[in-house]
Amino acid sequence: MDQNKLKKGCAIALAGFAVLALLLYLIGGEQFHYREDETDMLSQVAVVEEITADDTVEQEIQLNGNVVGLSLLGATYNRTNTGTLELELLNGDTVLDHLSVDVSQMADNQEHYVPLHNPITESGTVLLRITAPESEPDNAVTLYYGSLSEERKNPAEDTPAKLNGKEINGALCVSLTTKTKILFGDIYWYCVGVLLAVLGIFSLRLLKANERGETTQTLKLLHAFSRYRFLMKQLVARDFKTKYKRSVLGVLWSFLNPLLTMTVQYIIFSTLFRSSIPNFALYLLIGVVCFSFFSEATNMTLSSIVGNASLITKVYVPKYIYPVTRVLSSAVNFLLSLVPLLLVVLITRTPIRFSFLLIPLVILCLMALCLGVGMLLASAMVFFRDTQFLWGVVLMLWMYATPIFYPETILPDRLLPLFKCNPLYHIIRFFRTAVMNGVSPEPKAYALMLLASLIPLLLGVLVFKKTQDKFILYL
Amino acid sequence: MIIKADDISLCYRMSFDRVSGIKEYLVQLLQGKIQYQEFWALKNVSFEVKKGEVFGIVGNNGAGKSTLLKVISGILKPTTGSVSVNGNVVPMLELGSGFDFELTGRENIFLNGAILGYSESFLKEKYDEIVAFSELGQFIDVPLRNYSSGMVMRLAFSVATVVNPDILIVDEILAVGDASFQAKSKARMMELMSGGTTVLFVSHSIGQIREMCDTVLWLDHGQMKMIGEAQEVCDYYEGLRHE
Repeated sequence: MDQNKLKKGCAIALAGFAVLALLLYLIGGEQFHYREDETDMLSQVAVVEEITADDTVEQEIQLNGNVVGLSLLGATYNRTNTGTLELELLNGDTVLDHLSVDVSQMADNQEHYVPLHNPITESGTVLLRITAPESEPDNAVTLYYGSLSEERKNPAEDTPAKLNGKEINGALCVSLTTKTKILFGDIYWYCVGVLLAVLGIFSLRLLKANERGETTQTLKLLHAFSRYRFLMKQLVARDFKTKYKRSVLGVLWSFLNPLLTMTVQYIIFSTLFRSSIPNFALYLLIGVVCFSFFSEATNMTLSSIVGNASLITKVYVPKYIYPVTRVLSSAVNFLLSLVPLLLVVLITRTPIRFSFLLIPLVILCLMALCLGVGMLLASAMVFFRDTQFLWGVVLMLWMYATPIFYPETILPDRLLPLFKCNPLYHIIRFFRTAVMNGVSPEPKAYALMLLASLIPLLLGVLVFKKTQDKFILYL
Repeated sequence: MIIKADDISLCYRMSFDRVSGIKEYLVQLLQGKIQYQEFWALKNVSFEVKKGEVFGIVGNNGAGKSTLLKVISGILKPTTGSVSVNGNVVPMLELGSGFDFELTGRENIFLNGAILGYSESFLKEKYDEIVAFSELGQFIDVPLRNYSSGMVMRLAFSVATVVNPDILIVDEILAVGDASFQAKSKARMMELMSGGTTVLFVSHSIGQIREMCDTVLWLDHGQMKMIGEAQEVCDYYEGLRHE
């Protein structure tokens, strides 16, 4: 390995790390310091009734923690109304906060978030009083309530709501947003410093080893990478060129496929099953592109060893080249399918924020997951050809076990730990938060996503490495 | 020393019924029915090849010649012993095994070249030479599926022999195409082999071995029968055959 080249590479890696760490802090600094939580909302049963000038809705709610905002589930009777909803938070006779909601901004059957003017830190019971001083019949909104149940999960669940002083059979659908300080933001720069130091020491050792002519694992990998980069480029180009070779629309299919899949699912899930997810088209498309990448990449890597048998038995090339190139060539496809995603972002008027810069990180993690699973499958496929048929079924199961077209909230509580074992769930969730909410996810989500991709990768690489010498005897 | 083989042995484990299903495997494993027979394709083979030497390997069918070449090129790992190879190995095993028939001749030159381990700059530099040697002319931009089999072989040969490797592995001298191309390709092979690169050469034609090689290894049932100066080994080898 050329010492100067290696020096340059190490310098670039260190500088790149520093820049990325800075960028990450700019994007996610707020979320690294504070965590926002939202309490559960009761599932809706019915509406209170049209809230007009002479109506008062009252609801006792339990405060706990540093409350910064609340959400209500409103209905507009499918029209645009005028006037305001006045929200008062009362503790005895003291008015803790007075909020005004422009009802024309409320969407039908959707949660409406109202930020508080000042966060309320004290806990205890407060009264939420809602009036609509300017509203007239047929030009007013209403609010949903849910039934009181035995278990207490909801801040409004203790007591029934009151309409004009009379109790109704249920409590308002309210959820509270709290903001909690977390440690990670304070130690972020220390973590970056430590990692930078580790990286620096590692680079120095690498340079020293290279100077002395020793071969370490990393040097071998770098050497193989520089040597086989051209081959990988050619193989990726081959996969990509032959994929749509004899089709009329050619590469357009890479754009059309995710769009069409999304359209079909959108029609089904927004008409047959009314979905309460805001911006459902985008929610769906993110799930669809991620899952199709996963499915395509794993299916392609599955056959990467068996399919290249004629080469493997004749020419020596490190065997991991084959699964890696297959994942790379499906990644090219995946990148193309992000174009329709951008289109949907623009059409649905989702604001484009800095958090979109996190998408490359998501892509890397998704690729690592695909490579890990793919390598595992490719090894298994060599010894048992049944793997390909089995994988089809597993993939289908996996699709239903991932919240692609359904909201996470419908997952039953007792099965939740099981769903959290699904690496795709964490990656898709991260993707959605970054794109749809326009904010960086919380630090925990980063950790989960990294774990969800690195553990399968490590597992796949280990199994592949252990079995690769036997491949040739079974091809 | 460019190649050093140190006491290499290679053992195939052959199971009597090849199981290729998970269920079958488990059933047989539970019944304790999986039996293997050991087959030593190579046993205690040691030799050294000097830089620039043409090293021949002779032996009957199934003597382990091709297996030995695969071990040296890194495709197979020896069960015991070790091989050290200093330099890049270009195998000339089967022509065109890396071709994709949906791609054009031009794209295949780069694909197959990359598989054989050539660098991008090398291929770009030699591209015209390859096309000229293959005599494909304007067909170079046509997908390979429209080629005749002779044309495919000509292209494959042209790509495979454009090299200037440290070690060239030749399993039989390849002469492809029509009579005139055959003559041309044979001349190219001879030129390559006498051009100063280290060559590992396997052939059933003792005449060619005598003509080309400096040192010859005689393998018999995976074991070394004899190694030494080319003419001497060939004499013994042929003497045995005439008996």
